Amino acid sequence: MTGRESAFSKPSFLRTSVLTIAGIAILFSIDTFLASKERSESRVEGQRLYDAGQRLMQQGLSVDAENQFRAALSVARDNQQYQLALARALTAAGRLSDAEANLADLLQRDGTGGEPNLAMARVLTKEGRIPEAISYYHRAIYGQWKQNALANRMQARIELIDLLVSRNEKAGLLAELLPLQEEAPDDVKTKMELGRLFIAAGSPARGATVFRDVLREKPQDPDAHDGLGEAEFATGNYRTAAAQFQTVLRFRPDDNNARQRVEICNQVLTLDPAQRGLSVEERYRRSRKLLDLTLNDARPCVSSNASRDLIDTAEKALKQRVPASRQGPAYESNLDLSDQLWQARKTECGASAVPANEPLSLVLNRLAQ
Amino acid sequence: MRSLIVKLRQWIDELLRSENQLALVLSLVIGALVGLVTVAFILLTGRLAARMYPAGGAGWRRILVPTLGSFVTGYLLWRFFPLARGSGIPQTKAALFIQDGKITFRTVVGKFLCCSASLASGIALGREGPSVHVGAGLASVIARNLGMSREQVKAMVPIGCSAALAAAFNTPIAAVLFSLEEIMGDLHATVLGTAVLSSATSWMVLHLVLGDEPLFHVSGYRLVNPWELAVYVALGVVGGLGSVAFVKLLLRLRLWFADLPKRTAWFQPVAGGLTVGVMGYFVPDVMGVGYSYVEKVLNGDVILQMVVLLAILKIVATAMCYASGNAGGIFGPSLFIGATIGAAVGEVAHHFFPGSTAGPGAYALVGMGTAFAGIVRTPLTSVIMIFEVTRDYSIIVPLMISNLIAYFISYKLQREPIYEALARQDGVHLPKSGGRSQSEGSLVSHVMRPASSALSKEMTVVEALDRIDRGSPNDGRSIVWPVVDQYGLLGTISKAQLEAAATGDSRNQRLVDLFREALRHNPAAGELPHVHPDHSLHFALERMGSGSLEMIPVISRANIRELKGFLLLDDVLHAYGITRSPGMLDLPGSTDRQRSPHDRA
Repeated sequence: MTGRESAFSKPSFLRTSVLTIAGIAILFSIDTFLASKERSESRVEGQRLYDAGQRLMQQGLSVDAENQFRAALSVARDNQQYQLALARALTAAGRLSDAEANLADLLQRDGTGGEPNLAMARVLTKEGRIPEAISYYHRAIYGQWKQNALANRMQARIELIDLLVSRNEKAGLLAELLPLQEEAPDDVKTKMELGRLFIAAGSPARGATVFRDVLREKPQDPDAHDGLGEAEFATGNYRTAAAQFQTVLRFRPDDNNARQRVEICNQVLTLDPAQRGLSVEERYRRSRKLLDLTLNDARPCVSSNASRDLIDTAEKALKQRVPASRQGPAYESNLDLSDQLWQARKTECGASAVPANEPLSLVLNRLAQ
Repeated sequence: MRSLIVKLRQWIDELLRSENQLALVLSLVIGALVGLVTVAFILLTGRLAARMYPAGGAGWRRILVPTLGSFVTGYLLWRFFPLARGSGIPQTKAALFIQDGKITFRTVVGKFLCCSASLASGIALGREGPSVHVGAGLASVIARNLGMSREQVKAMVPIGCSAALAAAFNTPIAAVLFSLEEIMGDLHATVLGTAVLSSATSWMVLHLVLGDEPLFHVSGYRLVNPWELAVYVALGVVGGLGSVAFVKLLLRLRLWFADLPKRTAWFQPVAGGLTVGVMGYFVPDVMGVGYSYVEKVLNGDVILQMVVLLAILKIVATAMCYASGNAGGIFGPSLFIGATIGAAVGEVAHHFFPGSTAGPGAYALVGMGTAFAGIVRTPLTSVIMIFEVTRDYSIIVPLMISNLIAYFISYKLQREPIYEALARQDGVHLPKSGGRSQSEGSLVSHVMRPASSALSKEMTVVEALDRIDRGSPNDGRSIVWPVVDQYGLLGTISKAQLEAAATGDSRNQRLVDLFREALRHNPAAGELPHVHPDHSLHFALERMGSGSLEMIPVISRANIRELKGFLLLDDVLHAYGITRSPGMLDLPGSTDRQRSPHDRA
């Protein structure tokens, strides 16, 4: 050690070293003790504030709850539960962008968490960002859940399904329902829900299978009969559907929906010319009736020349007296004419002009399949 | 076992023989020690504050506690730890550049205790500056006790600074940058490696004890629209103006307190405590360092009227607390001021252009850096610090633009950086950033002549001339004489000037009156041209040349009224191997062009 100056006395290296190391050891102990005290106090305080926030949320006071969650988070900032609760409070208070920012932060730290992904999906759904929301629903479904993983995943999937139902996205809906059928618990309530969703997803046959399964367990369940009736109605099995709705009416005579369904089914069954077991004459009679109804339905609104020609042709066909020997070809011709008129009506009058569950519409749609 | 001890002894001996190796080892040790002390400082302050302000406590506490806190710490500072006042940055720089890196253990202890108490009591100052002072002090104490050389002791100071700031702000990179940019004034300083080591060690200690948490949790922000940059430019302007307002208010208030009778010094901090207490009674968020409120603002929880009010109150409260002599720094408050200013600008912008601007939180984030750059004047450190404090990279470009604008405005409106101005108010001349690297080669201290016997300010012109005729200092070649009062150097005057005054009406005028008259005509005349002993001859030559001076006084950095000696142009030229001919000396007006009171007027 050269070049020392007299102003700096030559002290004991050993003494200073020992004092410094001892200082480090003592300070480390003090710091660790203080930090652990701080942590435990923060934990207690954070939990107190979080509980207060949860109570306020249950009372619907989301703004006050938000303040409590913020305070909880300020004392225990690494607590993801508090931050998630804050995001939920912000969502409930309508501060969607703030909620999104909080959830994004949470997901940046752990992108696999089921809860934050589900919360983010809900926020994005509220913001109308559906494709992103669907993506977060999937992350929630396949993400990690600390408790009740199965139930939470199913809940997330059901929420996604509800979203898809509301947007009438049948393909996506069916894709979610098939795994749900595998995962869902084997209880009647879930099965009933599943059956209805299969119908909404455009797969009534699967729905019917589910309801039959339920009826094997609970044959006297009117809801199951109702569900099976709806599934058969959607499939086009109006006779079976009518039988199911009549069973429902036996259990619930005041069920107007079932009564209406029975009426529609009977009307369809008396109108449908393609039913099995009908004589040629009856088929022809029904085809004329169908053509007549279609003509009356289309006449007020179609205006194009092609459509006018179709109306003229239909009127001529209805005026004709067809001998029994030619009723077979005439039946085919009437059905074809009815279909063309129906398509023209759809184009020129708008598809929404006639409710989908009108007997005429149901019969013509069935014939078109 | 014995062989192990022998090997250890050998290693220690080897270590002692090489100061560079010792410095490397010490940077680790100092990093750990300072990190632990800073963590203790943070925890202690927090726990004390929690005791003083329990949840649901009465409002009167907010007036009583800071008033009492400032009263007690004010007395302790005055009685036992006079060097522990203020932030600690100017004191650290003074220790580094003037006192050969010497900071006493007493100051370290005083700073730690008084700052803990005063910050916990709600004084509107920050903990980072004091941490830097404590860190630098510990480094200095250890290095001196290990018997290291003067230069090595000085080299340890920035190591302690970076370790302290790394732990206080949880910003290891910005800590190193700050030590180099602000403390050393030289980004290429040779202590870079050891500063990095100590900063990293301190940061690791912080994480070991407190975990990995940034100072602020911030939602991810981004530039919504390129046109939004215009709003960030506006924020730079507002932030710059706010910074200048804060700095000027603080400096003026400090001067005002300094002019009060000396016997009130121990009581002055109470003015700061009472001010912040009264403000805090109505607006509690103005108290303390206010980081929890800053975090709220950063996350977009902004009410325009409230943030504007808080920005103003915080500027006043911090200026008052600091100027009155409380212990605490201005780092934290500058972040608070910046965040509130930024939030206000952001809220207004978002109100008018909701689709094209980010929320006010983004502007609060940039505002923090803006105020830091404007007040502390370390633009590079401020950018990196905001990035490290929030760990949000996405807003870095607007941050750089705003910072630069704030820095420029601050520089234009307040030339002298705050720490240099504070030191100057204390009679300490800190070297300017550009001048610090000049201390290599020949120094003024090598060539200067000792201070000659001086003229009293009470002498008349005639008496002064008589005195000069009786004794000729500086081997008879001195052409000017120092004039002193009871506090030290007042100015200089040449024989020619005295003779000129003697021929006029001023024969019996006192020298002090001569100076006063000059000051009345030209207030700038009070700024005595001078150099310091550690200035290079090159710098001295430039300064003499710019003022056409044959002689320039050499004064102490630690006390600008202390005359150390004189530097003669001939001596400087001689040091460069140049000798002037007598004719050159007798050039017309060569002596008369010395700066005199009359010339200044």
